[in-house]
Amino acid sequence: MPELSVERLVKRYGQTLAVDDLSFTVDSGVVTGFLGPNGSGKSTTMRALLGLVRPTSGRALVLGKPFYELTHPVRSVGASLDAKDVHPGRSGRSHLRTLAAAAGLPSSRVDEVLDMTELTPARDRRVKGYSMGMRQRLALAAALLGDPRILMLDEPANGLDPQGMRWLRDILRALASEGRAVLISSHVLSEVEQTVDQVVVIGAGRLVMQGSLADLVTRDQRPSLVRSPRASELRELLEASGASVSADGRPDTLLVHHATTEQIGTLAAEHGIALFELTRSVGTLEDRFLELTGEGGHVR
Amino acid sequence: MNILRSEFLKLISVRTTWLLLGAMILIEGAVAGLLAGLGEKKDLRPANVPDLLIGTPLSILFVFTLGALISTNEFRHGTANSTFLITPRRERVIAAKLVVGFVVGLVAALEYIAVNAGLGLSILSSRDVTVNSDQAVDIYLGVGIGFILICLFGVALGAVVRNQVAAIVGGLALFLALRGTLTLFIGDEVGRYFPAESLLGLQGNPKGKALLLDQVDGGLVLAGYCLALTIAGIFVTRNREIT
Repeated sequence: MPELSVERLVKRYGQTLAVDDLSFTVDSGVVTGFLGPNGSGKSTTMRALLGLVRPTSGRALVLGKPFYELTHPVRSVGASLDAKDVHPGRSGRSHLRTLAAAAGLPSSRVDEVLDMTELTPARDRRVKGYSMGMRQRLALAAALLGDPRILMLDEPANGLDPQGMRWLRDILRALASEGRAVLISSHVLSEVEQTVDQVVVIGAGRLVMQGSLADLVTRDQRPSLVRSPRASELRELLEASGASVSADGRPDTLLVHHATTEQIGTLAAEHGIALFELTRSVGTLEDRFLELTGEGGHVR
Repeated sequence: MNILRSEFLKLISVRTTWLLLGAMILIEGAVAGLLAGLGEKKDLRPANVPDLLIGTPLSILFVFTLGALISTNEFRHGTANSTFLITPRRERVIAAKLVVGFVVGLVAALEYIAVNAGLGLSILSSRDVTVNSDQAVDIYLGVGIGFILICLFGVALGAVVRNQVAAIVGGLALFLALRGTLTLFIGDEVGRYFPAESLLGLQGNPKGKALLLDQVDGGLVLAGYCLALTIAGIFVTRNREIT
């Protein structure tokens, strides 16, 4: 049984369709990136999983049950939906103590999670004096209070500096290696690409893809760029081998689809065609992500 | 019990709570001291003493605000997310907040009685002004119970109206700005059942208005408002989407 399962989830707010027939699962022991542009339905899906919003149709299940049916919700799921969700007048420690008290956890657990998130030196400072990075750490500390088997974090890398990003990556990987399921959302792939094993990509509330991070790259259909003094000859050879080729406006340059750079280089060598340049088109995982989810990052 | 402990921790861990309770002491003390200590002795007729005992309506506002903050802080600062994740049965959260509201109202009532009796009555006594002790007890009971009910009213209203400003301004309008105004149009017969007017009845009807409810009825009507708001608050909160 997956730790989290979303089954044909639909959530509509009035005329707005926030989540549209979305299905995916999250397993234990891996960090899953929940990716999509702002407004694509990530937060709504997470809130549905956590029982904070009701699905219009479909189901969002934690350990096979709706959230409110969990016997020990705090030990099952630790979640952070917004690092700003703290009373600014409380200290970090007193914020955590209010949560620990509600969960029936001892104050010693508060000190443990403060230590884990390296907030101990700032624990007695009021939260309004915390930086965004410190608030993110506090949110993670709150999520970890119940030592949950599932962690669900909405945009945890938001506002972190590079040092903070590395810290987050290390702690999330360590938590997943302990067998926990970790689901983190982001609208910026580069924030999490070094952290996640699996990705669930959504756009406009619909599933775009679910798979490994490697799948995201493998399915890359971006063309390779080839520059050769015998471009037209090479073009014929490539097309004959099944690749599709387009020109990029320069007579010696081709854009080649459906062929790897290795295939192109080998073919050229076999025919004694000199290559001045052979590169995968400039593009990153981020480009791929944008291709999948809609240009510009804003679906709606 | 866990949720109750958490709610008390929430209350005592913010400065606003202590500021409002502290401000109440200062204002009650100032009003009692000024009313009892200043002016000519001939003006301190027995008929005016109840006004002194009731204190200032500003305290009502403070107590109401404390009650409303207990509920609306959750939405104002987004802590409703974590609160309802830890305690998915939301009616338990409301129940715990009502208990906290009861205690806050009780503390405010004791604070008011201590300041009013300790300062105001002492000054009156030192100036040889007679105070009817039975009447004083009735008024202190009425005002004290009023504080508790008003705090509960604030908690329950905050559960229905999650916008903090709207809830507090609404309460301010209901208990201060509109007090007596609506009855001008509707008439005392119906108007005496309004929250502010029923509170005046509960406090002992110091002005001797003919058409105010007596203390018991005033208290029951005000308690009825609290109950109705609580039921509405539980219904709304259970069905509310936390977005």
